This record gives sequence, structure tokens and C-alpha cells, in this order.
Amino acid sequence: MGLQTGTKISLAGHGVLVGWVAFGAWLPSEPLPLPVQEVAVISAQEFARLSQQIQAPEVVETPSSLTPPERSPEPPEVSVRPETRPDTSTPQSTPAPAEEAPVPTPPEPEPEPELADSLPVPESPIETPTILRNLPVPEQVRPADRVAPVPVEAPEDEVAIDDLVQEEVSPDAGAVSAQELQDATAPEAASDRIATEANEDDEAEPAPTVTAPATSVRPKARPRRPEPPQVAEPEPNTPEPDQSSAIEDALAAAIAGGGEVEAPEPAGPPLTVGEKDALRVSVSKCWNVGSLSTEALKTTVEVAVSLDPEGRPKTGTIRMMASTGGSASAAKQAYEAARRAIIRCGAKGFSLPSEKYDHWRDIVMTFNPEKMRIK
Amino acid sequence: MRRNLTALLASLLLAAAPLVLSGSSAEAQNGPLRIEITDGVIEPLPYAVPSFLAETPAAAELANQITRVIAADLSGTGLFREIPATAHISGVTDFNAPVRYADWKAVNAQALITGAVSVNGKQLTVRFRGYDVFADNELGAGLQFSGTTDGWRRMAHKVADAIYSRITGESGYFDSRVVFVSETGPKNDRRKRLAIMDYDGANVQYLTNSAALVLAPRFSPTGDRVLYTSYESGFPQIHVLDVGKVQRRVLSADKGIMSFAPRFAPDGNTVVYSQAEGGNTDLYTMDIATGARKRLTHAPSIETAPSYSPDGSQIVFESDRSGTPQLYVMSASGGEARRVSFGKGRYGTPVWSPRGDLIAFTKQSKGRFHIGVMRLDGSEERLLTASFLDEGPSWSPNGRVIMFTRETQGANGRALLYSVDILGRNLKPVRTPDGASDPAWSPLQ
Repeated sequence: MGLQTGTKISLAGHGVLVGWVAFGAWLPSEPLPLPVQEVAVISAQEFARLSQQIQAPEVVETPSSLTPPERSPEPPEVSVRPETRPDTSTPQSTPAPAEEAPVPTPPEPEPEPELADSLPVPESPIETPTILRNLPVPEQVRPADRVAPVPVEAPEDEVAIDDLVQEEVSPDAGAVSAQELQDATAPEAASDRIATEANEDDEAEPAPTVTAPATSVRPKARPRRPEPPQVAEPEPNTPEPDQSSAIEDALAAAIAGGGEVEAPEPAGPPLTVGEKDALRVSVSKCWNVGSLSTEALKTTVEVAVSLDPEGRPKTGTIRMMASTGGSASAAKQAYEAARRAIIRCGAKGFSLPSEKYDHWRDIVMTFNPEKMRIK
Repeated sequence: MRRNLTALLASLLLAAAPLVLSGSSAEAQNGPLRIEITDGVIEPLPYAVPSFLAETPAAAELANQITRVIAADLSGTGLFREIPATAHISGVTDFNAPVRYADWKAVNAQALITGAVSVNGKQLTVRFRGYDVFADNELGAGLQFSGTTDGWRRMAHKVADAIYSRITGESGYFDSRVVFVSETGPKNDRRKRLAIMDYDGANVQYLTNSAALVLAPRFSPTGDRVLYTSYESGFPQIHVLDVGKVQRRVLSADKGIMSFAPRFAPDGNTVVYSQAEGGNTDLYTMDIATGARKRLTHAPSIETAPSYSPDGSQIVFESDRSGTPQLYVMSASGGEARRVSFGKGRYGTPVWSPRGDLIAFTKQSKGRFHIGVMRLDGSEERLLTASFLDEGPSWSPNGRVIMFTRETQGANGRALLYSVDILGRNLKPVRTPDGASDPAWSPLQ
């Protein structure tokens, strides 16, 4: 006998319900998180000991004698405004504090020093000072640090030595396109022997009068104006002559401008604010304005310096770019203080990121003493 | 729809790209790195002065003494600090030998002074050179002074002046003298007399005896004469004293008229002073040669303590016309005066700086006395000292230091001379054999 559809659905539903009640509880379920509090378990004896009243400290029947506080022999002075003004508004108003204690004892007569019969006239017998001849420029006591098989004379003063060695490039007569000119890197001064303090006095031979700079500076690499390139007569419509002329014009303009050849824009990220601050603090530590005149303390100077890759200032490159606020003499004093700061604190190299050398190779530092005047 | 959205985003990115690029290029560094240093340190500059070489046997002791005076002068300014000889790495054995800069850099000597002394009979010769150690060069040319052995201290001061000038850029003040009132005895029976000494307290000599009270000596612009107020006649009168001959004469001898607080005009021919008549005190000038007088102020108040500007065109003085003593400036020929002190308290004893840019004064405020300086318009007032009683400032010849009187409190209190830098640093007593007050600094000799 066939069951009715409604009955079938009812049976099936009830079957599922019974099954869920019978087996549903066995299904895995997430336990609810229970709050757990850690407690310490102690024994009853321990609890009793903790609950005990702390034993009172032992009382000494006879207290030790107190030491009287030290009393200054005289009460501290109290600043009292004197009744009479000590100014010289009238000669009679000599300053006399009010609480002046009467001192009845007459002062012992003191033997007075004798009066001077005559005094040395201010124009005393010191003659007009004589200017001494200048000392010879201190010679390089030691030859150049660099030791090479062939000694090299120090370059001329204005020649700077680049860290990057490059060869000279001269215009090629047969070149089709104009070549960028460049000077050869000047060789670093060198000696053929190791000079030490022990043998520096043994330099009897006059030959090595090398006065190489202690540090090298980057060459200005100012190219000479090239000779007109010996190229074939250009054809009227070819673009090369224009291009060559444009480069030449640019080169001539750069030379005529009197400025140095622009350094290529440094590559890579610039110094961060923190790195600049670190440099600023480093220099500040050695910028001593204590001996400056009051006028020099009003003078702001801009000082340019080039650093070597180790962050050490190249002494020969330090120069004053500009000054404001004071006379030439004051600017000179301010500049010298700034120069001392750069040299002294840079002696071991400023802490700068070496990978950003292109960014800090040349620095212009502005020394502004405005805040220092108030200190 | 989706393609449209993608296209829109792409166009937005493209539009923003130039902005981003331009922003980054704005931060890009063109030219050298630039930084500004605004904080430094204020420390005495370390220097080394190896004992000067004695070029003759008789010069050995003087060479050492001269070296010590130079070091005391320089270190006494508070601007320099001597590196002791025990720290020197290399000595100086030849005055004309090149200097080993590295050895002096190693001990952080930023300036080096070398010298040589020779004595031939009474003739003394001192040669010296200064060096900027970290610049590896000389501080100007070397100099040589010649004179008699009696003047060895002055020669040492001159060397120190030259070094000071080359390092700081302003003239020195070591070869100068101070005239002051020497005080002995207790407060209720104090005896005062005029005395003169080197700026550092050496070579004290007395110019008057203590029979009469003397006050407020002032040097002439050339340092050859001293004006002062004396009670010799029973009431204050102005005297002038020739320093070289120690001869004095009364400048104002009118009986019954009190004249005091004199000061020379920059030309040295005129004196400005206070004169009290009928209970009123006003300012006058007097031609020293002719005795001709001119009254500068006509006020019922007390006008006193006048001081000329360095160019002689103006006078700063003290007046209580506003009710309390304040500072005023007027033309040297008299006329309307303008008030320059406006702070709380009483202002007195103004003195115009030799540089002409500042006025030093005594200020009494809240029961304390101060020595201070201010601009000519009263701005930038700076109090340099504070004590129970400070008064009577006097400028050093270069306008860098102020000497004044400080009196201590109590029955046993005594007056002493002190000096302070115009920035308020290096406050220190000046050595005097007895109590001292009313200092007046001479010009450089």
C-alpha cells in the first residue's frame, strides 16, 4: 500500500530530526573560550605566616645623642637695599649700607705708601715696532706620502688632482663629430722613498723639494678652447656643421661665462634631512665663536669646501664665498673661525653616506652667528 | 564599462605623473650641497706660547717673565686658554725655523706664539710671531719691539695686544692703565687717595695723599691728564692732574659752588661737569685753557654724570626730571634731551662706549645693583652683573670690557674693582693692594 506524499515528507523530516539529535552532539564543535586566571597555591602555614602582624622593631631605650646641625659662624647675608643711592648724583651721596655696624676701635694708622714723584710718561721708551721679515714658507718637511717608482713633482698650485684618472682627449683632426675635450688627470705627487720622522732630517740632497699638497682637490677640468677642427668643408645642407657649431658655441659660452664647467648633476637620491643634520651638528661642535669680536659675531659667512671620499675636507679648497653684516676685517675673523671648525671636526672625516659622495663632494656652509650672540 | 574605467585610471595616472616628477626634481640637488650652521660653541680658544727664547744670557729671566705676562693677558680675557708647556710635543729652539704644525695640531693648539728676547746693556728687544696652526700659516707678520729693560712689562702687553688683535679682529687693551681711588681703613673712617696702575693691577703708584676725600677720576683722551673731584677745600671742586709730572691744579675755584662729576670731551680741551648752585644741579662745560663756562641744562631737577659720545657731538647724562633717575641724551651744545632708559629701576653713571654703539650704566632695581649696557636708543638692555652694590662702569679702550666697583655688604664690607666682558662673561676681580673704587681706564698707550 502506497503511503501518501505528505506522510513520506513527514517521515523523512522526522528521520532527519531524530538522526541529528542522536548523532549531532558527536560532531566536533569549537569550545567557547573560557576566562582563565592564574592563581598561586600556597600552603596554610605560608598563609598564616603572611597573615601574621609584622613584628614591631626593637626599641632602643636610650636614644643616641643627636648631633647638633652645623651652624655657620655668621648668619647668611641678606641682600638689603641700601638706603642711600651710591650714584654720583651728588658727591655727598656716597654709598653706605644702612646697617653699618659702629666699629668703635680706631683703625690702626697704616703707613701710607709714598707718593710718586713722577711717573713714566705714557710715551715710554718703546720704539716703534719693526716688522720682521716673513718666515720662509714652511717647507714640506716630509715628502709626499705616496711612494712611487718614479718621483713626480707636485703640480702647480692651481692644478688639482682628481680621484678619477682620466686621459687627455684632444680634438681629432679626422673626426666627423666633435669630441668632448678633457685634460689628463694630473699625476699625484710622489716620492721614491719612504719618509719617516727618523730620516726626514737626512734629506741632504736638494732634489726633492716637492711640496705636494697634503690633500688633493678635484681638478676644475676647464678645457682649453679647441682649435677649429680641421674638417672637410661641410656640405651646405648637412646637419653636422650646425651641431658642431652648437657644441662649440655652448663650450665658448661656458668659457666666456668665466664659470667652471658645470658638474654633472649628482645621480641617486640626495642626502636625507637626517644626514644633513648630522653633518650640521658635526661642524657645530667645532665652530667656536668665543674669541670672535663683537662685530665678527654679527657677520655671516658662506664657506665652500670640497671633501674627499672619506669625508675629510680638502684644506686647499676651503674658501669664503660671501659675507654679510660686517666689515672685511670682521668677515676675515668669522671666516677663519669657520675654517677652523671645518678642518678640526673634519680631520677624521665627516660621517656621510659614501654612496652619495656625488652629493656631498662640494659643500657650501653658511655660518650664521645670530643665535650665538644671545648666548 | 570595464574598459572605460581602465582608460580613466590610466589617464589619471598620466596626469599625475608630471606632478610627481616635478615634485621629486624640485628636491633634486643642483650645485653643491648647502647647509646652514647656526649653533656653535663658545669656548676659550686654545693657544700655546712656549717660553720665549733668550738670545743673550742676560735675557733668560726676562724672556720667561715676558712670556708669562703675555699668557696672563691673553688667558685673562676669557677668550683664550693656554695649553700648558707640559703638553707641548715639540719645543721651539730656533725663532726663525719653520713651525711643525702637526705637533701643535696634535695638542689642539689653534694659535701659537713664538718669540725671542735679547738684552744688550739696558736695551731690550722682543721679537715674536703668531701662527694660525690649523691654517698652516702665520698670523700676520712678525714684529719686533725695542726699549729699555724697565719697560719689559709694557713690551709684553704690546705683544699680547698684537696677538689679541690678530685673532679677534679688534684692538687689544693690555697696554693701558687704570686710575682709581684707593681705599683703606674701616667704613666709618675710610681714607681715599688717587692711585694709578697697569690694567692688570701691576705697578701701583699713588697720586694724592689721603688728607682729602677724592672721587671720580677720569683720564684725558690721550691719557696724560686726570680730572677728579676733591674735597680739599671742604666742598667738592674739580682738579686736573698731570700724570707724568704728578702736578695738579684746581680747575674750578669758585667758593661756595660745588662742581663735580667732570669728564673730558674727546678733543681734550673741554670739560663737562655738574655744578650745584642754590640747591639745583645742572650740566656745564668749561674750556680748560680759558676757564670759559657754558651752561647746558636749565632744569630744576638734578642733572649729573655726563659723558661724551666718541665723536663729541652728544652727551649722555643722568637726570631725575621724570621723578626717578634715568638716562638722557642731548646735543653737546645743550638743548632738548631725549630719554633713553625706560626699564624699571633707577639708572645712573652712564658712560658712552669708545666704539660709540653702547652706553654702560649702573642700575638699581629690586634692591640689587647691576652694571649693564644698552643701545643708544635704550633698546637691547643687557644687565651684566648683579650684587649688593655694583657701580661706576668704565670702558676698556677697545670697548670690549667694563671695569667697575663692587662693594660687599656689612661693617667689614670693602670696595674692590671688578671687570666683566660686555657679553656678561669673565667676571673677575682686579688685583689691587687695598680696597679700590671709581676705576677709569686709560686709552691704549
